[in-house]
Amino acid sequence: MALLLTCPNCGPRPSTDFRYGGETRPLEDPASSELDEIKRLWMRRNAHGEQTERWFHRDGCRRWMTVTRNTITNELV
Amino acid sequence: MASTEARGATVVEIPGIGTGQEIGTLSFEGSSVAVHEGDTIASALYRAGIRTLSRSFKYHRRRGLMCVSGDCPNCLVQVDGETGVRCCVRAAAPGQSIERQNAWPSADRDLLALNDTKLAHRFLPVGFYYKTLIKPAWAWPKVEPLIRKVAGLGRVDKSDTPRHLEKVYRQPDVVVLGMGPAGLSAALGAAEAGATVIVADEHRPGARLGAGKTRDRLEALLAEARAHPAITLLAEHRAFGLYEGPEVPLIGPDEMVMTHPRAIVVATGAFEQMEIFPGNDLIGVMMGRGAVRLASQHGIKPGATAVVLGGTHETAEQIEALQAIGTQIAAVILPDGLNGSTPIVPTGVRTIIGEITRAHGRKQLEGVSVRFTGGEERIACDLLLLSGGFTPQENLLRQGPGLPVWGAGDVVGPLPLEQSVTEAREIGAKAFRGEAVGLPEGGTKSKRCGDGGFACICEDVSVEDVKNAVREGFSSTELLKRYTTITMGPCQGRMCHAQMRALADRFSPGGEPRISGVTTARPPARQVMLDEVTAGAYAHLERHTALHDVHASQGASFLWAGEWKRVADYGSIETEYRAVREGVGMIDVGTLGKFRLSGPDVVEFLERLYPNHVGDIQPGRLRYGLMLDEHGVIIDDGTICRLDEETFYITVTTSGAEGLEAALLDWRDTWGMTVHIVNQTAGLGAINIAGPKAREVLATLTDDDIGAEAFPYLRQREITVAGIRCLAIRLGFVGEVGWELHHPSSRSKELWSALEEAGKSHGITPFGIQAQRLLRLEKGHIIISQDTDFETTPWRVDMGWAVKLEKPWFVGKRALVRKQSVVTEKLVQYTIDGVTDAPWEGSAVKVGSSLVGRVASSWYSFGLGKAIGLAWVQPEHAAEGQRLVIGKANHNATVVKGAFYDPEGARLRA
Repeated sequence: MALLLTCPNCGPRPSTDFRYGGETRPLEDPASSELDEIKRLWMRRNAHGEQTERWFHRDGCRRWMTVTRNTITNELV
Repeated sequence: MASTEARGATVVEIPGIGTGQEIGTLSFEGSSVAVHEGDTIASALYRAGIRTLSRSFKYHRRRGLMCVSGDCPNCLVQVDGETGVRCCVRAAAPGQSIERQNAWPSADRDLLALNDTKLAHRFLPVGFYYKTLIKPAWAWPKVEPLIRKVAGLGRVDKSDTPRHLEKVYRQPDVVVLGMGPAGLSAALGAAEAGATVIVADEHRPGARLGAGKTRDRLEALLAEARAHPAITLLAEHRAFGLYEGPEVPLIGPDEMVMTHPRAIVVATGAFEQMEIFPGNDLIGVMMGRGAVRLASQHGIKPGATAVVLGGTHETAEQIEALQAIGTQIAAVILPDGLNGSTPIVPTGVRTIIGEITRAHGRKQLEGVSVRFTGGEERIACDLLLLSGGFTPQENLLRQGPGLPVWGAGDVVGPLPLEQSVTEAREIGAKAFRGEAVGLPEGGTKSKRCGDGGFACICEDVSVEDVKNAVREGFSSTELLKRYTTITMGPCQGRMCHAQMRALADRFSPGGEPRISGVTTARPPARQVMLDEVTAGAYAHLERHTALHDVHASQGASFLWAGEWKRVADYGSIETEYRAVREGVGMIDVGTLGKFRLSGPDVVEFLERLYPNHVGDIQPGRLRYGLMLDEHGVIIDDGTICRLDEETFYITVTTSGAEGLEAALLDWRDTWGMTVHIVNQTAGLGAINIAGPKAREVLATLTDDDIGAEAFPYLRQREITVAGIRCLAIRLGFVGEVGWELHHPSSRSKELWSALEEAGKSHGITPFGIQAQRLLRLEKGHIIISQDTDFETTPWRVDMGWAVKLEKPWFVGKRALVRKQSVVTEKLVQYTIDGVTDAPWEGSAVKVGSSLVGRVASSWYSFGLGKAIGLAWVQPEHAAEGQRLVIGKANHNATVVKGAFYDPEGARLRA
């Protein structure tokens, strides 16, 4: 994926400097039903459009950041 | 040849026009060919009278110089072992060795040309590989290697590449592709508007221009661009694709420049259109600009007598250039419909309004047939100049949809020079400002197409083939392309895309226009070598501990463990094994992942992370811990040492350390906790000294009390060993008394030799991870990822003791509770009596004759005198005493419980 991500610590860097952490998902809700928890664990939204996701700046500051990306155009919001 | 002086900074010069001076010779299939100054390989060969440069892909027809611009497939040769080199744009150098490819025994006498007979054509219809020899099923595997041989393009040199390209990142405002008059003008326009600009070209500017007004204009523009501080010129840097981002990779002689511009201007120009008529692929049929290049750049007469198929604003200029070098112009053929008054033909040259119906010749062009109102005539010639129209060099441009791409110059429509330069300048400024200008729809459609000949010279797709394919129902251009492979050869549609669309229109039932759409253009637009793809990543990251050289000098052999090189053994696994069991051994475990965690939230943080209790570990003590993911799957294991109330030191597996750091930081951020996490993996070394005599040896090096009372099993504390402060951790992975000594890695060598020296009288022996794997297997300890996979819960490996479900919450708890009842596989220990070697790891495990599992770890135990191992089996076969049949040799194995060695752990607690 050819993508330039702006790390809040280091500035714009190619996505190959990062480790992709996948889309964000809510924390576990102890009150949720078994089915909802299974959905939370296993069912990714895999959004066709805007998606919030985590990136780890592996070859830079080694910090995580949260990014909203349009999965169709790869534009960052 | 490379014009790059320093990485990222290029001195760009227009190469000189060939002076005709001989500077040496190159070797062409054993014979010697003179190289003149400014020559390309193709021009040197042409001057020497060599016309056949290759054989065609399918029918093995002779092919020769045609485009002379690096666009057609005809001049692909092998240069010094490098395959697929377009020799018309590769500079010639004395000493080069050139071979033609794809012919047997030689391109001059190619027996495979039998394919080009009427009979063979019948057996090689369009899409023949989908039809012929598919049945019976055994035929294809036998024939496929032969077909590959016939259709092959050169022999790949399988030795390692000598080139190591670096990767450089640039973020200019505008990237301009093409360093011709339009590209340079666009760059100047953008720079004047305030942009930073990179201009790249696959060749040196003007490398394909002879003397004349275009070259003079280019020279002036180049001087202007060179003087502009905001413009960087990268000659001999080719773009092979436009990617989202946008990202444009430029491959240079010794670097790949990754550019991330805001706007891209494609100014890649145009070349003459391929024409279709029977015989259109004969040697001697040449693009107008190409023939002129030979004449004015290299001083070579492209032919004795030429017929010119004219029609562009350059036709007249081209005729004059040929006349100047002594080529006779037999006739100029102009299409009907051109305004007869257009003064494009020099006076005194015979002009015919008509069309070419056929090119004649066997080995090469001997004449053409021309049809005109009132007759048809055959005109003798050895050169046919194609100058009837332009095809934009639009492969890159067509990759543009969705990206900020602008086009300038011939690629969006050929114009006279000055007009083109003025327009390009404006486009450059607009691109920088983000002002849209309409791009042409792209994908020209050829206006003239004859009734025969080759539509695609890369893949030998004839007009007849296209017709048959459309009749067979492959009616859209996307299908047509995949079925016939037209546009899919080395030229990537440069020669044939426009023709394919025109033919699709012609043959479609009812002439439905929908079928002749522009096919999708994808990277790469130019060939990319594997060593170019790996730019900046050619070396495998290889990490060494501080003791690596010491191990090497002791005769160690190494193996990979994640990014690390670890000692496999020092020559004899058995000796190393026996030393640990009977005396004392030591192993470098400096590759372990090591983290120091501190802060007010650290206890809560670790309680959430580990499935067992952490808060009740007293300072100075330690506990083994599993790490799980949210699905309850084991992802790592290691020790949790509590140094003081708010400080912990944890170790994780060698290969897991990198991922674990990311996971720790992710959880900390997610939970918003105040925990300071320091990765000490590289900063600290670690040596494990173990064996019944380990205490005796260690005691000679330290004043601290390490007696069984003062320093029992599962304790840790700082002690000084040979003057080096160490965190000593009393563990028992290998099942004997032992300490892991964690210390600054700068002092590893010192500590290692002190231990060696002190242990000499006890026969201390360094051991590698092979011996360690056997030693721990005898204790039934698992290795994460060797014995576990992505479904392994603690339940499946009988490690429920490391899970405390009474804890309110930990990562993976909920999934674990649920998975308690879905244990579909279990890891069991087995023994095989009466054998002297062990089955392979990964061997099949059977009960009777039915498959029930696989071996995870397998060793022959020197101490026990039998084979032992861990295997995954279905739970109904996991009971103690179960008989299993293992491996190829059908060994009889028995499931056992408890450690094979010292099951009570008395030795390790001693």
